Amino acid sequence: MEWEQLDLNPRIIAAVKKANFRSAKEILCVSGPDLQRLTRLSKTDVQRLHCSVAAVVRESKPSQLIRGECPVLEAGHRLSCACPVLDGLMRGGLPMRGITELAGESAAGKTQFCLQLCLSVQYPQEHGGLNSGAVYICTEDSFPIKRLRQLITQQPQLRPDLPPALIRSRRFSDNIYIEHAADLEALQACVSQRVPVLLKRGLVRLLVVDSVAALFRSEFQADEAVQRSRHLLAFSNILHRLSHEYGAPVVCVNQVTDVVDGPNPGRCDYGLVGSKVLPALGIAWANQVMVRLMLRRLPGQVQSDSRSSATRKLEVVFAPHLPRASCLCGVWEEGVRGIPDDHSDLQPQGSS
Amino acid sequence: MHRTVPSLPLAPSVKVKLINAGFQVASDLTDMRPLQLCKEAGISQEEAVEVLQMLRDDGQPHQQRAATESLTALDLLHQEQALGSIVTFCSALDNALGGGVPVGKTTEICGAPGVGKTQLCMQLAVDVQIPVCFGGLGGKALYIDTEGSFLVQRVVDMADAAVQHCTLLAEDTEQRQALEELTVEKILSNLFLVRCHDYVELLAEVYLLPDFISEHPEVRLVVIDSIAFPFRHDFEDLSQRTRLLNGLAQQLIQLATQHSLAVVLTNQMTTRVSNGQSKLVPALGESWGHAATQRLILHWEGLRRLASLYKSPSQMEATIQYQITVQGFRDAPEEPRPTSSSSAVSSPSENHSKRPRMEDLS
Repeated sequence: MEWEQLDLNPRIIAAVKKANFRSAKEILCVSGPDLQRLTRLSKTDVQRLHCSVAAVVRESKPSQLIRGECPVLEAGHRLSCACPVLDGLMRGGLPMRGITELAGESAAGKTQFCLQLCLSVQYPQEHGGLNSGAVYICTEDSFPIKRLRQLITQQPQLRPDLPPALIRSRRFSDNIYIEHAADLEALQACVSQRVPVLLKRGLVRLLVVDSVAALFRSEFQADEAVQRSRHLLAFSNILHRLSHEYGAPVVCVNQVTDVVDGPNPGRCDYGLVGSKVLPALGIAWANQVMVRLMLRRLPGQVQSDSRSSATRKLEVVFAPHLPRASCLCGVWEEGVRGIPDDHSDLQPQGSS
Repeated sequence: MHRTVPSLPLAPSVKVKLINAGFQVASDLTDMRPLQLCKEAGISQEEAVEVLQMLRDDGQPHQQRAATESLTALDLLHQEQALGSIVTFCSALDNALGGGVPVGKTTEICGAPGVGKTQLCMQLAVDVQIPVCFGGLGGKALYIDTEGSFLVQRVVDMADAAVQHCTLLAEDTEQRQALEELTVEKILSNLFLVRCHDYVELLAEVYLLPDFISEHPEVRLVVIDSIAFPFRHDFEDLSQRTRLLNGLAQQLIQLATQHSLAVVLTNQMTTRVSNGQSKLVPALGESWGHAATQRLILHWEGLRRLASLYKSPSQMEATIQYQITVQGFRDAPEEPRPTSSSSAVSSPSENHSKRPRMEDLS
């Protein structure tokens, strides 16, 4: 840290250098009286030092002290889910910054939903996309490339609202970067080194981790909860930083755990009463997530144009801007589509 | 003692040496010993002793003055009542808190993810702006967001509902006049938003707060959502974390009392295992429990959202139910049957709380 750039009496700067302070962080982490003792400066000098160092710290990261309109927040812009019913549930789509989690049992349709988002992000902003590509990190199975190809060919059916020329002009597969991470180290290396490069170059603006639970649940024993928490927090910290710096939505797929006992005061169930499964990774992960969605498979079928699909329910568990609501959806050849049905959440909680 | 060094009755040469050594205010000199002072300032030992003696004598009339300026408890009570509080629009919670979130104190809101902490903070940021003639404080708010969960869309919903609520209440001309100025755009523009991405930025922001508040004296609410988030990872040395948090807490309480504003902090929950049983407790450790004046814990009980006033110097412990609607933080709907702990069974009357929201949206 260049102390000369501070607007302070040279005497104070000399004292700071003599006391061997090297960075703004060190100054801010030491209290007033301690700083007085270490630099032998007076109380007012130390106050002035703290204020000017603080001003520099808030200057180098854009100080978003904004009145009213928040231009950096792209107020209202969301990443569309490529289906008007799902967009209605999410009030537009996924927010630009923050982690969106999609939890569900196996074969619920989480990967389908993520693939759909990878295509949706490539459309221009006026059509709900971000005009950029996506990074898809697989930790469980290999990437479903055949399904992606099928979805690409079926895009005109999924998005009848878009001009066909626009769809034809997109080179979808060129803009999806696929990574496979077999263990935690590879995952950390991927998100801390390779993904930032893609984000910085503007090549991608969506990050999908499918799934986050797989590696964290397999590499830690039951009694290593503290280490698991630490790694989980470090990982989510990187995701947060990337998401906020580049304005890129992050989607994390999560598994679920069974609920064997009844309501337990030591475990938070987020108001999901009567549910037999809860999102995995506990409250440590839940604290990092901004929007939590759950995808469940229900008995029965839904129809669309005389084709049928197993019923799924997409539920908003919590989000700062969404109420607790859900909608039915199905998975078809062209992707995941919601069913515009007003009676979607009249079913009692116990049905899932 | 706030006397500046140039104003002290000392020889000019001594004063010049003191000022060059960096002593600006009399209080800088009081903790010095003669030997220290003469080394620092370059004055002779007798001069140093003289300076300190003069200060000590000077101090005494100050002390006498301080004695007559001291407040009685009755004065303090009047002052506190004059400060007011910020309503939450949930009357049960307002009653439990004794009128609302108190000004001049720090309040901590703890809760699991999704239970409504950010919603309550956003609601308070809107409610502090309600004009004085409607019973509010007519002030501005500073929102420090460390998690990135502040979404303008939601604040617009709440601001809209607050304006409509006031429109229904407006009776006399003064209120109608105030109502003309109360628009959603005005409410948004009176809300200062700051994003902090790690704990160093948060510390820096809190150091800059006194200057900010002096420049904007209409700010009556400072929200930090959440204070736990930046402090819960990459801290190898937990004792340093405790020290930093204590320092922060002290700065915030000083800010709250000196500038008469309400400080609201949000905390997360963590699991603690004791005797083989696990339970949810507020994060950031035991010593953080002493930091805030009041502590509110939001939790789920089945489908119901409850708020418990866990720690308060003036109010009784209470647990009330609330709900989150499109309009924001509100009272829970009336229940026909007495509240009991076996609320795991969902009945049509409890789903009632969900229905108005869906209808509002459709």
